[in-house]
Amino acid sequence: MKKQKIKSAIESMMFVWGQPLSVKDMADIFNEDKKEIYGLCRELQEEYEQEGRGIVIREVNRSFQFVTRKENLDYIERLCTPVRKKKLSQSALETLAIVAYRQPVTKGEIESIRGIRCDRVIEGLAKKGLVTDVGRADTVGRPVLYGTTDEFLKQFGFTSLKELPDIGSFAEADGEDRERELLEGQLSMADI
Amino acid sequence: MTYRVRLNVFEGPFDLLVYLIERAEMSIYDIKISEITSQYMEYLEEMRSEDVALSAEFMVLAAELLQIKSRMLLPRTDAESTDAAVKEDPRTELVEKLREYKKYKAVSEMLEAAGEEARCCLEKPQEDLAEYTGDPDEYLSLDIEEFRKAFSAFLRRKKKLEEIRAHHRRSEKQRLTTEVRMGDIRDYFRGSRQEEADFRDLVKERESRYDISVTFSSVLEMMKSQELDAEQERIFGDITVKAQKGLYEKTENQVGD
Repeated sequence: MKKQKIKSAIESMMFVWGQPLSVKDMADIFNEDKKEIYGLCRELQEEYEQEGRGIVIREVNRSFQFVTRKENLDYIERLCTPVRKKKLSQSALETLAIVAYRQPVTKGEIESIRGIRCDRVIEGLAKKGLVTDVGRADTVGRPVLYGTTDEFLKQFGFTSLKELPDIGSFAEADGEDRERELLEGQLSMADI
Repeated sequence: MTYRVRLNVFEGPFDLLVYLIERAEMSIYDIKISEITSQYMEYLEEMRSEDVALSAEFMVLAAELLQIKSRMLLPRTDAESTDAAVKEDPRTELVEKLREYKKYKAVSEMLEAAGEEARCCLEKPQEDLAEYTGDPDEYLSLDIEEFRKAFSAFLRRKKKLEEIRAHHRRSEKQRLTTEVRMGDIRDYFRGSRQEEADFRDLVKERESRYDISVTFSSVLEMMKSQELDAEQERIFGDITVKAQKGLYEKTENQVGD
């Protein structure tokens, strides 16, 4: 099949499907290599982007879907009032942050980082389809391991987990302070 | 100095501690344990005085802080090298935990912003694809003779069923529900114009334990909604049920409906 024809077909399929359409499914349909199809999806995405269309193509974990251009939200809202998804609570966001970066992670690990029980929060995140259990740890009690879902990527606008910023960039900036203190040595007893 | 900060702002003990440290403009690597501990305790105390239920984890951290504070008071032996002394800083573990926590708190802020932005893109929910995928009516590949047989078999079975139904009636005891019994009780008081009744008079089938218990729970239910009041002078004694204003109101409402 000619490239242009496949791209055109992909476009039609994405239109009908609405939800993210996986490269794998598309490759099966065209009986083509997944890499090839992925490349074509990216090309299509680029074309929409270049032309500044009101519809853009969003990638979620090697699946693609049509969504509206974010700059147009205002106009859509004037036309109708789309149901906005509720924001997550602070504790849900913290828990999600830990799951995203430490996955697969047990509830115990999450709780030791947050310093507080997380059962309810995890349950809530699982209900929203943002986290899911991805197996069990090979430790005592075989606790459930949690990981994030494609829904998480979608709701937070990441194409894949690799796109998450490096965890190091969130570390405290005052690492130098610490060295200095270590050099100055000896903690002061003055504050006791 | 008192702080009017609501507990629910804090997601946990670390959140509170980080807040206190930052407010005091301390370096996380050089926490003035004594000062922070007393502020932390003060805070917990205030919460308690305002009757906010503190989760146990807040107490656990309070205990940890106190332990660190006491360990810092102990003189460290100089027998070890100074290097080891630095490592032995009782605060080290806590600092590590706080750093880790702060890191993920920063991530959570990043996620919040990312989520906010992603929410600006709207997607179409998956449409009902039945129109495109709907399976066509199943083909009936029978010849007319087979079809006739099947139909008459169906008729025979139907007839037989009707015969059985005519001869055997399924006996089913109607099980009374509390809703029905509550209606009965309302009718009783409304009809009799009495305001008091013996509990036993409200039970219809005195032999039936089920009936008695349904009546009893109905009375309890109605007491809850302030339609009835009940008194029992002594244990195992007679129960006197009294109609309350709520009962008549309810009746009127229902009539109104």
